[in-house]
Amino acid sequence: MTLQEFASLVIQFVVAMIATICFSISFQVPRRHYLACGETGAVGWLVYIVCTAAGLSAPVATLVAALPLTACSRLFAIRHKAPITLFLLCGIFPLVPGAGIYYTAYYFLQNAQSLCLDKGVETLKIAVALALGIALVCSLPLPKQISLRQYNGPKQSR
Amino acid sequence: MDDRALNLVMEAGKTMLANGGEVFRAQDTMDIMARSLGVEDFNVYVLTNGIFASAQGGTVNAVRHIPSVSIHLGRVEAVNAISRDLAAGRLDLDGAEAALAAAVALPPTRFAARLLSAAVGSGCFAFLFGGGGPEICMALMAGFAESVLTHLIRLSGSSRIFSDILAAWLCTTLVLLGRMALPGLDANTAIIGALMVLTPGVALTMGIRDFINADYLSGTIRLFDAVLVAGCLACGVALAYLLANVLLGVVP
Repeated sequence: MTLQEFASLVIQFVVAMIATICFSISFQVPRRHYLACGETGAVGWLVYIVCTAAGLSAPVATLVAALPLTACSRLFAIRHKAPITLFLLCGIFPLVPGAGIYYTAYYFLQNAQSLCLDKGVETLKIAVALALGIALVCSLPLPKQISLRQYNGPKQSR
Repeated sequence: MDDRALNLVMEAGKTMLANGGEVFRAQDTMDIMARSLGVEDFNVYVLTNGIFASAQGGTVNAVRHIPSVSIHLGRVEAVNAISRDLAAGRLDLDGAEAALAAAVALPPTRFAARLLSAAVGSGCFAFLFGGGGPEICMALMAGFAESVLTHLIRLSGSSRIFSDILAAWLCTTLVLLGRMALPGLDANTAIIGALMVLTPGVALTMGIRDFINADYLSGTIRLFDAVLVAGCLACGVALAYLLANVLLGVVP
């Protein structure tokens, strides 16, 4: 990796962090969690761009990125004794298929059926990959004393 | 005694859902609170927009309707803390009622801070989607204008559909006007950056999470919500392109 590539990764990381913190402000997260939210989002985005640069498709890259992202959220949820939702909702924002939704609806209105279908299926794939990644990491059991501290943590089955 | 306890549990669940908590989290929290408060035979069914519960062998019933969600994760955290304290025995019924009232009364972030964060967030997303300096500046301005507009519409009490269409229209129009001044501007990147605040990506992902949790009804509600919002945004964008084309001769 050249120095330039490394610098660009660092810039992406920082910008993703700022973007996530901005969203945690509009989601009214208490101030003490801002940094944790920012880190969660930035980690997810960094893994995502590294994966897409390595040639993975967007849904696969999203799935791979959702794993460390959710792990970060769980870690912060335990450390800060806060529900995992706080970090997860803000942290997934850079990965959420907002652009895909936009293009799908846009092509739909433009009557470009095949483009609309392509974008729609990709958007759905990304959303499923993201949700699967979250569910995978959330359902990993934790050692007992940690999970006791993380009271009311993620429970995937009823 | 039981009526008050049940009421408290219902209000706690309602506060969670209305401020962006997940369905299964609201259900878990309500179960734990009811157990800690000694509500007998507590049964609860939670949906994205409603809570149904009964207690004492079905003789006491309660229903709550949550028509609209505005995300305030600070309140979700506060309700979570109440259930944690109740389970640990650090709070009694009176204390929990006071704590819940305090949680509901948590103030929203200041308007100026929200405006600034929406603008900066839009700019950042324009960069992350590959935009350069001009795109970032346009997204910043469009995001700012759009959050002022949505705030004004919310104050006037109009529907969310209206506000979504109008906000998408406004930010697209602004970016298209900007492109007339700077012909090299990549309009799509700037528009998506500014629209990111409004896109229902979180609703879509949370809907699919509900599906994975085998909660098909809540998942469907959220998915339809996401589709509706996406449609509104697309209408706004299409409207802006149409008007710009007719009035200013801008080619999409």
